[in-house]
Amino acid sequence: MIPYLARVLVKAVVTLFAIMTVTFIATRFSGNPIDTFLGEGLTTEGRQALIDYFQLDQSLWQQYLAFLRGALSGEFGLSFVDRRPVTEVVAERLWPSAQLLLASIGLTIAISLPLGVLAAVYRKSWIGSAVMVVAFAGYAVPAFVLAIGMILIFSYWLDWLPVVGSSTALHFIMPTIAMSGVLVAALTRFTRNAMLDVLGQDFIRTARAKGLGEMRVVLRHGLGNAAITVISVIGLQIAGLAAAGSVVIESIFSWPGIGQLLVNAAIIRDYPVLQFGVIAVAFAVVAINALTDIAYALADPRIRLGQN
Amino acid sequence: MFRLMLTTTLAMLPLAAGAQEITVGAANVTPFLDPGRDHSNVGSQFYYNSFDTLINRDHSKLESKWVPALATSWELIEPTVMELTLREDVIFHNGDPMTADDVVFSLNRMFQATFPPYVVRAKDRLGNFTEAEKVDDYTVRIHAAREEPLWETLISLQQIMIIPEVYTKALTGDPELAEDGDYEAFALAPMGTGPYRVADLQPGEKLVWERFNGFWGEIAPLERATVVQIAETASRVTALKTGEVDIITNVAPDQISLIERDPNLKTEGTATALFHVMIMNQNHPKLQDPRIRQAMSLAIDRDALNEALWLGKAVVPSTHTMEEMGALHQPELTTFEYDPERAKALLEEAGYDGFEITYDTAATYYTNGLLAAQAITEMWSAVGINGRVNVQDQWSGDDPEMMARNWSNPMYFSDPFGSFGVMWAPEGPSESEGRFNTDAEYAEKWERFRFSTDIDARKAAYAELMEEMKADPVVLPLYRPFESWAMKRSVNWAPMPGHIPYVLDFRAGSISLADS
Repeated sequence: MIPYLARVLVKAVVTLFAIMTVTFIATRFSGNPIDTFLGEGLTTEGRQALIDYFQLDQSLWQQYLAFLRGALSGEFGLSFVDRRPVTEVVAERLWPSAQLLLASIGLTIAISLPLGVLAAVYRKSWIGSAVMVVAFAGYAVPAFVLAIGMILIFSYWLDWLPVVGSSTALHFIMPTIAMSGVLVAALTRFTRNAMLDVLGQDFIRTARAKGLGEMRVVLRHGLGNAAITVISVIGLQIAGLAAAGSVVIESIFSWPGIGQLLVNAAIIRDYPVLQFGVIAVAFAVVAINALTDIAYALADPRIRLGQN
Repeated sequence: MFRLMLTTTLAMLPLAAGAQEITVGAANVTPFLDPGRDHSNVGSQFYYNSFDTLINRDHSKLESKWVPALATSWELIEPTVMELTLREDVIFHNGDPMTADDVVFSLNRMFQATFPPYVVRAKDRLGNFTEAEKVDDYTVRIHAAREEPLWETLISLQQIMIIPEVYTKALTGDPELAEDGDYEAFALAPMGTGPYRVADLQPGEKLVWERFNGFWGEIAPLERATVVQIAETASRVTALKTGEVDIITNVAPDQISLIERDPNLKTEGTATALFHVMIMNQNHPKLQDPRIRQAMSLAIDRDALNEALWLGKAVVPSTHTMEEMGALHQPELTTFEYDPERAKALLEEAGYDGFEITYDTAATYYTNGLLAAQAITEMWSAVGINGRVNVQDQWSGDDPEMMARNWSNPMYFSDPFGSFGVMWAPEGPSESEGRFNTDAEYAEKWERFRFSTDIDARKAAYAELMEEMKADPVVLPLYRPFESWAMKRSVNWAPMPGHIPYVLDFRAGSISLADS
């Protein structure tokens, strides 16, 4: 188990370094921040004075080294615009994003696992077909369409749900559903397929032959073994959601999270915020992947024992 | 769960109380508040509620009518020295009394700026002021280098709103010194003398104003006003409709009829005191012949752009002028016209051989910017110009390869100097970027326009500058974009004609809430 853990960690560190480098380069090529947040009508000398002040005058190479040195000591610099440490700027956005992510994961698991199992068990009846139709439809609808559609129906027409911010439980309903939509669809399908695969195995027949109840056969022996596939899918999907899903949803619902922060920082080219924000998200993705790998090993003895 | 319920209950309290409170859903909330270094459209929404100038203007009027603010009276004691008597009962939001020290500190931080963001802001508009000086606790003098025709106009600029000296200096480092760090910290902990104090500022996200009961003037009508960022237009309109917010900003022209259909909602709009312009590079090797640039300008049917992009609600000017400029407003000048036949003739005269002319625009920076660019290249093609839209996010105004692009010329204050005068000054932004040349003759006209103390002399000089723009064009003001706000019918608020663009003025007399 220890060498396996070490491999997972080394992979994570290398990935993070690569992401930091790519982020640094990509932000520098997107244009000059002086153009965007200081308004119009700067003279060339005025622009130069500000470039010096914000230390944008160093060569890319020097800036990169300074950035890496800072990163190693935990100093990621100040936001160009509000002049606060970017770690502070990003930190205050993490919890709202995490709340939304956790709510979405919770909702997804609560819906997908039962639906997936149902669809597998009743695959020949209309129940199974109905679940799959819904799952395919859900997979085909992009999150922003779902979000705008819900806003139109539940806020604009019916006036039942609020659209702005994250202050109450009601505020969570639409963003959570919009975030979960595609995930529910995907996970339901994967759960069904994994269950079908497992339910056709010999040991299930043996379990039934022992005289175990159908419920116990399906949940204990069936779902227990299907869990390996399901866990890896959940891990991958959550990582994807943490990385990209929140950007659109947070912008639409004015959710004060990290996705919205990144969009704003990208528009005004606040490099330090953008860099650290992307790194924070990347760190979350890498951490989720590493945890998934570990959970995978825990669920499947073949992986944790067979690696050597 | 208990905490969740508690927050829910707390969040609903203000609604239940029916107090004088409003929530604004804004497309953008400022990331910082420092009136000195800011002149952005996002920032200018927020200063007037929390900060005061020495002299104010009556914003309900289009023409300039100066009224006392932190100064109760002012007079020129020498041609270049103004003496101002300060109001004695003014306190800052932290309770400190305002004295001449604060005023001198606030003015000199701009007049003798060392903090680079102040330096660049002070240079283009406050350059004629050399220093502010304390005479006694409630008297100050402002010294100008040359006779100044625009004393009141410039003393009422947002950039020299008054901030507290002791508080600011103590924010970081040595409490006796004004350091760059102090100004940076101030921007997140702003403090002024206005009728609302900033109770909470979450950069880029949310700003909360609370009524300041120690205000020297008429007490603010609202107990509390909250501005939250709602970037997405659809969400903003929906939030207004569901009642989550009371006012929304930046309503696109095509949304107006949708909102007006709701009996509980209304819109208020105005042509913004800002020009979207096309600029042309005088020094591009292929555009050095002024006839080519004249043709590029004459080919553009700006009224058609207005009808198509702004539903006819924008304002198309005949010259670089706005009615807000009062006595200096000169609509009788015809500097810019649509004349495709003349454009064709000029191209032929100049021997235009069909080379490609690029028009740079960012994809989304200006409302309708990309659509206008596409329409303009079509109009060019109608007179035989081979135009191409070049979409890029980088600012190309300082690129020698730039041929034409969009830009804006805002009115920073209500005088032609506050718009054309800043952007097209000798050695100003346009010339220093290498796309506009001035000579001694232009500089002499500009000086006469800027510094003549006689209004007619200023007007005549401005007309001469416009003739230069006509003969050798570098800019074409396309239109003043139409900007709308939408709100509940119970909110009595509208943008005031005497403000610079985008100001959310919630002072007494500017907003009231009906009891419905």
